[in-house]
Amino acid sequence: MEQTPVFCTIVPPHVLDKVARNEDRALAEPARRTLERDAAERTRRRLTTVIGALPVPGAEPSDRPRRTISDAEHRTDLPGRAVRGEGDPALADATVNRAYDGLGATFELYLTAYGRHSIDDSGLPLDATVHYDRDYNNAFWNGEQMVFGDGDGEIFLDFTLPLDVIGHELTHGVTQYTANLDYFGQSGALNESMSDVFGSLIKQYALGQTADEADWLIGAGLLAPRVTGVALRSMKAPGTAYDDDVLGKDPQPGHMDAYVRTSRDNGGVHINSGIPNRAFHLLATALGGNAWERAGLVWYDVLTGGALPPRATFAEFAQATVAAAAGRFGEGEEHAAVVKAWSEVGIATALGGTDVPRQSPAPEGARPPAQG
Amino acid sequence: MRIQVIRSGGFAGIERRAVLDTAGRPDAFRLHTLARDVLAGDQGGPPQGVPDGFRYEIAVDGRTVHCADPWLTEEQRELVQLVLKEGA
Repeated sequence: MEQTPVFCTIVPPHVLDKVARNEDRALAEPARRTLERDAAERTRRRLTTVIGALPVPGAEPSDRPRRTISDAEHRTDLPGRAVRGEGDPALADATVNRAYDGLGATFELYLTAYGRHSIDDSGLPLDATVHYDRDYNNAFWNGEQMVFGDGDGEIFLDFTLPLDVIGHELTHGVTQYTANLDYFGQSGALNESMSDVFGSLIKQYALGQTADEADWLIGAGLLAPRVTGVALRSMKAPGTAYDDDVLGKDPQPGHMDAYVRTSRDNGGVHINSGIPNRAFHLLATALGGNAWERAGLVWYDVLTGGALPPRATFAEFAQATVAAAAGRFGEGEEHAAVVKAWSEVGIATALGGTDVPRQSPAPEGARPPAQG
Repeated sequence: MRIQVIRSGGFAGIERRAVLDTAGRPDAFRLHTLARDVLAGDQGGPPQGVPDGFRYEIAVDGRTVHCADPWLTEEQRELVQLVLKEGA
C-alpha cells in the first residue's frame, strides 16, 4: 500500500527539515519521507546537505575511488542501469569509459593535492549516469550523483568529452558537503566558480600543465563543429568563449564593472562566475607553476575551511582567500598576489578595514571546524 | 492558445526561448491537454532546482508556471520539448 505522507506540502520545508532531524524517529522518519518526495522532490538537495552529509559509520576512507557508471538508456529515470563498477574492465561504450576515467582523475586530484577522500572526504561512492534523455544538451549534479547528456550533435556533443565538465559536476558535490554555497546570486556564482576552478585544475593536473600552459577553458571540445566558439567559458578572458548565430555571444563579465543583474539562471550564476574565475586565473598565472598547488590550495582552504557563510558575497570570499593565503604562506608573495588578483577584477579586499572575518592560520590538520 | 517556454540555467548557462500558437496545428488538442495539465500542476513559484539543472518558465495565455530538471512531470517534459523544438 502506498503510504500517505503525514506532513503534506503546506508544511514549510524548513520546518520539515527540523522535524526530520528530531531524535524521535517516529517523528523524524515521516518528515524525512515527506521531504524526500515533497514538491516533486525539489527539497532533496537541502535534505542531502543537512542529513546526508554525515560520514558513513565505520567506513575508513580509502585511497581508492568507488565508482559506478549507470546508463539511463535515453530515459530520465535515475540512476538507470549500472553498467560499470569499480575495477570492471572497459566497455565498448566510450561514454561510459570517459565518465569512469573522469571520475577517477577527479578523485586523484582531490586526494593527491588536498588529501581529500572523495566528495565528502569520507570515501563517498562516486555515481554517474550517462545517456540521460535524448539529445540532452546538459550535465548536472542532482545532490547525489552526476548526470550527463549525449548532446544533440547540432550544438553540443557528448558532455563526458571534456574532463573539466566531469570535474565541474563532481565539485558541486564537494561544495555541497563543505561551504554549501547557496545556489543563487553571488554565492551561486561562487558555487559555479568553484566548479570551474577545480574542474580546470583536474584537467591541468591530468595533462601535467602549468598555469602558463593551460588553456583555462571550460567545455573545450563540447561544441559541435558548426558552432563558432572554442568552449563554453574562458576563465582567462570571460566573454570570449563563443560568438555564434545560434548560441549568441558568451555573456560572462570579467570585472565587477560589468556584473550582470538578472533573475534568470538563478540570478546569473553561470554568468557572473566569470569574475571570480578570472581572479583565480590572474592569481595562478602570477604565481606560476602548477595552479593546483599554491593558488588551488588557497581556494581549497576557503571552500573547506568552515568559515565561509553559505550566502557569501564575492567580497567576503575574496577577503577569506586573502586571509587563507596569509594563514597558509604568511604575508609574502602569495598573499600579495591574491590581493592584486581581486583588485584587478574590481573587488577590494580592504586591508585593516571593517570586521573582515579572519581565518586562523591553518597548518596541516589544524583547520577551523567544519560547519554543521 | 499561445504557449511560451523560456529555458535558463544549465551547464552552459545559455537561455533558450520559443513560442508557438496552437491555432490551426494538427496537434492542437494534444498541446491544449498538455498545457492544461501543466497549469494545473503549478507548484507556486520557481523550484530550487539542482546545480547546472535547466530551469523552465512555461507561459500559457498569460499564466506562468515554473519547473526544473530533473523533476519534470511527463507532461511538462513533453510540452517543453514540443515548444522548444518547434516554436520560433
